[in-house]
Order: sequence, then C-alpha cells, then structure tokens
Amino acid sequence: MSVSTRTHRAGAGKAPARGSGPRAARRFRLGEPGTAWLFMTPALVLLAGMLLYPIFYTLWVSFSDFDLALFEPVGWVGWKNYEMVLRDPGFLESLKVTGIYLVVALPLQMILGFAIAFLLNVEWRGRGVLRALFLIPMVVAPVVAGGVWRMLLDPLWGVVNYTLGLVGIGPVEWIGDPTLAMVSVILIDTWRWTPFVVLIAAAGIMALPGDVYEAAKSDGAGRWQTLWRITLPLLVPVMAAAFVVRWLGAVKMFDIALAATRGGPGNATNVVNLYIYEKGFRSLEFGSASSMATIVLIITVVLTYFLFSISRRLENRW
Amino acid sequence: MRRSLRLTAAAAALGLTITACGSTASEVSADGGGLGTAENPVSIRVIANDAFAKQWQDQLVPEFNKKYPNIKVSVDGVPYNDQLPKTMLELTGPTPTYDVVLGDDSWIPQLAKTGGLMDLKADVSKWTDAGYDWDDFNPTPLAAGQWDGKQYTVPVRSNLLLMFYNKKLYKKAGVQEPTAETTWEQYFADAKKLVQDTDGDGKVDAWATGTYFTKDPLTPTIWQTVLNSNGVALLDDDLKVAFGNEAGVKALQTHVDLLKYAPPGASTYQFNEPLEAFRQGRTATMFMWGSVYKGTAVDEASTTLKPEDVGLTTLPAGSAGPGAHRGIWSAGIAKKTRHPAAAWTWLQWVTSKEGEQFTGSAFGTFPARNSTLNGTPAAEWAAPVYEALKAGYAAVEKNKMWRPRLPEADAVQQILALQTSRAMSGQATAEQAVDEAAKEITELLKSKGYPQ
Repeated sequence: MSVSTRTHRAGAGKAPARGSGPRAARRFRLGEPGTAWLFMTPALVLLAGMLLYPIFYTLWVSFSDFDLALFEPVGWVGWKNYEMVLRDPGFLESLKVTGIYLVVALPLQMILGFAIAFLLNVEWRGRGVLRALFLIPMVVAPVVAGGVWRMLLDPLWGVVNYTLGLVGIGPVEWIGDPTLAMVSVILIDTWRWTPFVVLIAAAGIMALPGDVYEAAKSDGAGRWQTLWRITLPLLVPVMAAAFVVRWLGAVKMFDIALAATRGGPGNATNVVNLYIYEKGFRSLEFGSASSMATIVLIITVVLTYFLFSISRRLENRW
Repeated sequence: MRRSLRLTAAAAALGLTITACGSTASEVSADGGGLGTAENPVSIRVIANDAFAKQWQDQLVPEFNKKYPNIKVSVDGVPYNDQLPKTMLELTGPTPTYDVVLGDDSWIPQLAKTGGLMDLKADVSKWTDAGYDWDDFNPTPLAAGQWDGKQYTVPVRSNLLLMFYNKKLYKKAGVQEPTAETTWEQYFADAKKLVQDTDGDGKVDAWATGTYFTKDPLTPTIWQTVLNSNGVALLDDDLKVAFGNEAGVKALQTHVDLLKYAPPGASTYQFNEPLEAFRQGRTATMFMWGSVYKGTAVDEASTTLKPEDVGLTTLPAGSAGPGAHRGIWSAGIAKKTRHPAAAWTWLQWVTSKEGEQFTGSAFGTFPARNSTLNGTPAAEWAAPVYEALKAGYAAVEKNKMWRPRLPEADAVQQILALQTSRAMSGQATAEQAVDEAAKEITELLKSKGYPQ
C-alpha cells in the first residue's frame, strides 16, 4: 500500500545481493503508520501554521493585555477581558442582531433556493440562460455587492426608490431606518447566497432515482403526494448539507453589513463579526476583540455540532 | 551522542533562523543612507491614504525628482479604515517596509506612542536644510504633528471642516449669504427657506444641508465643532469627560436637527454622498473638509458648479465664536528606516514653500505655511479660500477644535460614532446618546489607566 512498505519488501529481497546487510534494510522500515505520518507531515505543518497558530494566538491575546506600543500581548490578565466583554452591551446586542439575521436569512435562502431549483429542473425554454445568470451574484465580491446595493437603495438617487415612486410609494429609507436596514442586509445576503443553495439543490434533484418516481406513478400517487412523500424525504440529506454549509458561511458574515450599512444605524445591523472587526481593527482593542472571537468560536462550534447531529438523525430517519 | 549532536545543530540552525527573522534593520550609515547617485539611487517607500496616493505618485514624485533625481519614491495608497492598524503594524514590526508614514490628525499620539517615529526636530536635524523654516508654519496645522513635547510629523495636507454654500441657491431662496458671524439660530431660520422647489414643478428638489450623518468616526466631528464653538471641550485638561451635560446634549441635538433640512436618505451620508449632492446643486450648504474645494468649485470633470457659485466660510458660530475642526494629514519618518536622509529630504521638499505651491496649484491642497497663506495664491480661486482657511485656523486655535489628543482617540471616536448614529436614527434621544457615550468613554479611559 505505502511506498515504505514496497521499499522494505524490495530492500529485503535484494539486500544480500547488494551486500548492504540487514542494517541498511532496517533503516528504511517505516511501516504503514510511519509512512502515513511522513506524508501527512507537510499538511499538518501547514494546518498548524495556518489554523492552529492563529487560534492559539487569539486565545493568548484574549488572556493578555495587548500593548499597542509594542503591538503584542504582554502580561497575563486572566479572565479580565472576558468579564469586560460579557458586560459590554454592544457585544450582547451584536449577538442578538446576528441571531435575528441567521433566523430570518437562512430559512429564507433555503426555501427560495429549493423553490428556484425545482423551477429550473422543469424543462422550459431559456432556463439555461437563467441558470447561468443565477451564478452572477455569487461571483460578485461581497463588499462590491454591499456598495452597489447601497446605491440602488438610496432614497434620492437609487433605482429601487425611483421604481417605488412610480406607484406612489416612498421615498423609503432602506438603510437609514433601523428595521429596514436589517431587511436590506438580509435582502442583499439573500440575493448573493440563494444561487449557492440553488446549485446544491439542483444537483440533489437531478440525482433523485427515477425508478422510485415510476413506482409512485404506477401506484397512482399525485403531484403533491409525490412531492411530500418522495421528493422532499429523499432531499433531506441534501437540504441538511446545504443548510450546514450555508450556516457556516452565514455565521461569519460581516462584509455585506460593513459595505452597506457599517452596522448601523446605531447597532441595528451590527452583526457580531463586524462588531469584533471594529473593536479590533478600528478601536485597536485587541484583548477584548480576541475574547469576543473566542466566545463566538465556542458558540459556533457547539451550534455546528448540534446541527450535524440533527442532520445525521434526519438522514437516518429517511 | 551523534544524535544529540544533530539535535544541537538543528536547534542552533533554527535559533539562528529565528534570530535572523526577528532582527531589526541593519545599522544606518553616518550619512543617513545618503541621497543616492545616478548609478546607485536610493529608494524610499511612503504609506499614504488611497484618496491622494495616486496623485502623489503620478504628479508629486516626478516634480520632486526634478530636484532630487536619485531618490526613487514609491507611494502606496491604503483605504482610510485600514491605514491606522497597518501603520501601527509597520512601526512596531521588526523589518521596515515604509520609510515615511502618513497619519490623520487624531492618530499621531497613537503612532508616536509606539516609539517608531523619529522626532523631526532632533533625530534628523543634521539632515535638515538650512532654508527649511519651521517658524513659518502656522501653529494650528503644525500642532497636529506634536505629542508629548516632540514634533513627530509635519503637515502635508492641511484641512479644516468648513461650511460650503451655494450662492445661487441662497439667492433663489432670497436668503442672505452666511458669514463668520452667522449663528446656529440664524442658520436654522435660513434652512427652512433653503428647502425649496427650484424648477417650479411642485416638488422639493433642493435642500439646505448636507454633511456626515451616518455611523462613522468622522460624523461626531460635526457636533464636536458645535460643542467647541460654545466653549466646551470633549475632554477636559485632566482627560475627563466634559460633554456629558446640557452643552453636549444641545450640540448633538443641533446635529440631529440638521437632518430635517437634508435630502431624503441623508441619514446614510458619509463623505461622498453630501459631496455629490452639493456638487450637483442639490444642497445649499455643506459642512465638509475644505480640501474638496477644488473638486467642488473648479474641476469641471467633477462638479457642476463654478468658483463664483461656491462660498466658503467657517461653521455657524456658537457662544464662543465660529466653528471649524482640524483635520491635518501629516507625515513622519519611521525610526527603523535605513534611509532617514532621503526620507527627510522628500518630506522637507513636500512641506517646503516650493512643495506647498505645487500641491496647492496641482491638487488644491491647503497650505500650512503662513508665507503661502499670506502670499500670492497658487491660483485665482484660492484667494478667498485661503481667507476662510486663515479664519478657520484662528477659530480652531481659540476653542481647541480637534479630536482628543491621546493614543485612544480612535476608540473614543468609535464610541461617539455609535451613539451619534443611535441619536440620528431615533434609537435614542440626544440626551440618552450623550449619557451613554460619556459613560463608555469614561470606562474606556479608566481601563487604560487614566484617573477618572
């Protein structure tokens, strides 16, 4: 199986003929685990450098006093940063804002994504073009998307308000009103990420087994019965996977809010990652920002674990 | 034995590598790295704001190279919001990338506190040109580069928050043009008339005010100016919060009230939006950085207005005098540079009388030198502008109209930005926002060891 095993066997066979003796053969005997570790080492080193080091550094900073003059953590401060963070109303509010965003945006994107995928699955003229057009939002940089939507939603210059004005509505303060600002961020995020769900859903729908549908048809199942009893249960694993992947993306969202609303007005759209970013890279409060990042990491890991458990249960159920 | 030798050798190699990585820049030669020769030119790098970095690279550097052809200058532009942390990393890192760093007004104490900036009046004095006249600088812009008794930076783009007004819209509304004596009460009385229908189609198409309203660290500078023009400071001399009172509430409420006379959607106005609205003749006044004057009144490619359409004066007066707010971009030299002589030569030229004349005429940059301010202006349009600038400098000096001079200034502005935004959007009253801001800033300063 492994290179080392083959080397060992070859070496063992040829050793006496080459006259290098059994000692030389032993030198190359790494065995299967050894070979595995050998090949994994570069990846592990990279992983440690690129992933573990930043995590441990963040942890270290979160328990330290960050000296701006030296621009490095100095002095152990224990739980002080965490205590401050948990007393910070802005941080707690940003967690709440993130929760609202996730609870509204994710189901919306899932429902829209699967609905559109069903429509695109039906044969009709021009669906290929539409399918290609659907990919455009995904390739637009989030900061650009936020900026462009900000212009589109502008009450004075924006095309959205102009159109609404033609039917006597507005001007609407899409970004200036605290409630509508959150609606706008969810709208932009949904515009950007629904195509991703559509792609996954379309792949799942195309992979559904045809014989099951033929059997259902011969048993006299109607359209709704087929949808509820066959299609949706068969798609549950795909839905679960799409939801988990979208969850992981949505939980770290901050770029659209930064570009479109800067987290405002007030804290209305200040999602937790934007709050941490501002705290760290604008206010240069690296100790507090690192504590917040650690708390968010823990919350995310726990919630992701639960989502995976639910996903596995659903997959096993059907 | 052999194994332990190998381990020792590996550890030594690793140690040497780490030491090499962590070592500081090599020693600077006695001539400060020299000014280069045709065969061996000296290269320096400048970290600047992306709003003007390209202008500098394309026009200012070639002009400099006419006099100093052997100093190659690269100017890198960085977005405003990223510039402070990037510069902090640069000044504290072991290996210097940039020889010259630029900072906004309120950043200088924070940058200086890193210990990574040279004192321009001491550390590089041996390379200071005999004709470089420190005393010619107006004290207001020069003070932006001072901290803890040292001159860390020198002004390269002087700026003030001033009031622009559209003379045509004032005439159309039948309102007298504002002056340095116009009070806030008078301004609001005029503002009602300046919201008008200019083309007679029955719809309002011009408004009175455009300025910063959104959640941005520069937005609070508007009501800070109102506060200062009433003789109240943000922090007192002991660095304790001084605005958590009626004067603070009144100042913030003034800023909130401006929104009533601004175009729809103005609550999201940052830098570009009020500028565009004014340049297209949609707002009669604009509280904005004076440096945009050329692009607003002169450059036909960027504005619909002409110099004769645009007036410039200080912000309406409070009980202590007219308003303005200092916003000076200044530049310093990184302590770890290997070319201090070339870096200082570049900076001296940019901030010399000759350099100011060039940046004034080419980019419309405001001067910091009294000789430029009082001399023949770089262009015809500049004469009334320089008058407004001088009045602004005087107002700033009189009522200390600048952001807090302490390393935590940016964190303070962040708190003010959030609370200002809450008041603008109606999430809090001006009183609640001021109280919350005062509380948070007090806690911040306390956590940083300032007696509160």
